[in-house]
Amino acid sequence: MAAPRAGRAGNPGGDMNSLDAIIRELGGAAARARAARYAVHALVAALAWIGLVLVIARLTPFEGRVLVAAVGIPIVLAVALLAWLVRRPNASILMRLADFRLGLKERLSTAWERRRESGPMDAMQLKDALARAADARLATAFPVRVNRGEASVVAVLAIFALALALLPNPMDQVLAQRQADRVSQARAARAVQAAQKKIADSPKPTPVDPQVQKILQDAAAKIREADSPRKALESITPAEQQLQKLTDPGTPALSSSAQNLANALSATAAGKSAAQAISSSPAKGAQSVRDLASQLQSLSPKDRDELAKALAKAAQQAQNSQMRDSLNKASSSLKNGDTSSASQALNDVASQLDSLQQRQNADQAVASAINGLEAARQELAAQADRDARGQGAQANAGSSASPGAGASGSGNGNGNGNGNGTGTGTGTGTGTATGTGNGNGGTGGTGGNGSGTGNGSAAQSTERV
Amino acid sequence: MIAEEPRVDAATVTQLAKSLETELARLIVGQQALVRDTVISLIAGGHVLLEGVPGLGKTVLVRSLGQALSMSFSRIQFTPDLMPADIVGTNVIGDEAGRREFHYQPGPIFANLVLADEINRATPKTQSALLEAMQERTVTVGTQTRPLPSPFFVLATQNPIELEGTYPLPEAQLDRFFFKVLVPFPGEKDLLEIARRTTGESTPQLRAVADAESVLAAQRVAREVPIAEHVLLYAARLIGATHPDRTELESVRRYVRWGASPRGLQTMVLAAKVRALLEGRYNVAFDDLSAVAQPALRHRVFLQFEAEADGMTADRLITEILEHTVKEPARA
Repeated sequence: MAAPRAGRAGNPGGDMNSLDAIIRELGGAAARARAARYAVHALVAALAWIGLVLVIARLTPFEGRVLVAAVGIPIVLAVALLAWLVRRPNASILMRLADFRLGLKERLSTAWERRRESGPMDAMQLKDALARAADARLATAFPVRVNRGEASVVAVLAIFALALALLPNPMDQVLAQRQADRVSQARAARAVQAAQKKIADSPKPTPVDPQVQKILQDAAAKIREADSPRKALESITPAEQQLQKLTDPGTPALSSSAQNLANALSATAAGKSAAQAISSSPAKGAQSVRDLASQLQSLSPKDRDELAKALAKAAQQAQNSQMRDSLNKASSSLKNGDTSSASQALNDVASQLDSLQQRQNADQAVASAINGLEAARQELAAQADRDARGQGAQANAGSSASPGAGASGSGNGNGNGNGNGTGTGTGTGTGTATGTGNGNGGTGGTGGNGSGTGNGSAAQSTERV
Repeated sequence: MIAEEPRVDAATVTQLAKSLETELARLIVGQQALVRDTVISLIAGGHVLLEGVPGLGKTVLVRSLGQALSMSFSRIQFTPDLMPADIVGTNVIGDEAGRREFHYQPGPIFANLVLADEINRATPKTQSALLEAMQERTVTVGTQTRPLPSPFFVLATQNPIELEGTYPLPEAQLDRFFFKVLVPFPGEKDLLEIARRTTGESTPQLRAVADAESVLAAQRVAREVPIAEHVLLYAARLIGATHPDRTELESVRRYVRWGASPRGLQTMVLAAKVRALLEGRYNVAFDDLSAVAQPALRHRVFLQFEAEADGMTADRLITEILEHTVKEPARA
């Protein structure tokens, strides 16, 4: 049985200071111990988070996995720091724990609790508590140590996360394909935008330009927003069909008639220059025909007769009824010596040549737009084909077959037939072309061959459709 | 903070207890726990019920305590024909200056130390006379109430065997005892020492190491020992855990009929304060409460019949309660 270590009350102020010093020392030690513990907790949580993200990234394509995993680390650290700050034990708890862990038999906690009391034994109790505390290594009440179980968990999680990070991830291929798809779709959209710009920059604006621009703009947006190149491809054909509707079906006939007129006039002395002008361009031809009409009175009878025959021949070959009528009228009036009426008829012919020029300009704009869409189609089809090869399961039909713009095909499986038509004009006039396209089916999956038929029109001999 | 010095230095109390234990140890061989519990009860101002088979030194302990304390001592041997008046005294007719008149003849209870030997052999009426005196510390005879000497300390003994013809103390009366101390059979080494000390030429004579005043002063000092709230809470939890409707322990729910009373809590806290002083501390610790829990609670926890059938004792239940009651309320 030990005698009490202190028998008389001491300086109360000094005792309080000593208690405060004890609290400070215990608080510091507890803060360090808790910091270590929370750090380990945070490490466990961070590693678990990284492991979870990496596991999810192996089950499903997860593009931002590195970012998400990295973001989890500061969040976990912040939460741990917050918990460390918020869950600080108060002085009373610190004293109790120190008593408990250092075997101080509740001396410190009693002294702290009764620090403002003035009972007969409080001063003695305080002295006794301080004396005992002075002999004890207070910091050992809150040792900085890592729980073995937690350390094992950290090690296991670290190995697990490292393995997940280093071992090949089957989803990487899917992500790469998605990236390639996006790049391809962006390139296709840029091709369409390039066609838009080309039309906008054209020196010869046409009435259909706003419609063409709108169609291309919508198509570019759909291509960019599509889930896959295949879906993007599906938006091209409707756009092409809309563009096709903007072309005038009578243009080839009128163009052919103009060419025949040029051929016929080239054999006459009076109409040679007009023939060259028509061959050069319908607009120049129109001006030349007007000049010819104004000179009819001054022509010799022989030239008039020669011109009337040429006009009659051109009228005979003309596929456009208005042109034919005007040429017939001009020919017959000229034969009858009615130069005034013949001049009027030739002016009508000139007006039709002006109209032809406008139609050709519009067709050229449409053709440019279709060219842009075709470039996009080729880009997307190539990527879709690569995707299909990568997946080995789906078939694409006729992705890059020739002629027949805007043709659609059908095949077994999921085939789409597309054809590209090429048409070249002959001579100096305008030409028409029709094409039939056959698409070859994709090699993957069970899809059969797709076949497509399409009609293409060539706006100008130099333009590739 | 203005500190008020206790009327008696706490160290003096410690010294008193130490001297008392040393002196008793000259005659009582072994039985340190018994001596310690008795000294705690004395300083706490409570009464003790000693339970043990005959011949273990119960009476010797009490008699020795009387010698060591230099206080008045009386012994009452309880028998079935013992009457309350035999304890508290009675009015007798006396002849004084030719006049015959009643005057009060004090009973043996008017002593500082009273040994109530084999208390369970007296009738309940007689038992209750003693127990009322223990509680009130006064004796009423006729119409007059007389205070008992202070300090007043009763040590009652009872034999756990030979129950035939006995009157077991009812629960309410058991609760009046501060401690119920079991007197264990001594070990072989202690038996040898007992034989040596008591069969020689002379037995040791004890000297008085304290008087009534010093004991009363010690009792006052003991009550001033501070106890922290969380330690007090632990004591309350221990008491609560003895109640079948407030405990989480299956064994308590199954075997306990009624748990310890608030007086049990008072006893534990007061005894713990004394023990703290005896241990050289000025505050109560969890260990003090644990150390005094058995003697303070074993006679306040009333068991079902099923407990007896299953061999379950109050001591085992209290041990279980001590093991399961939470001491530390927080972690860092």
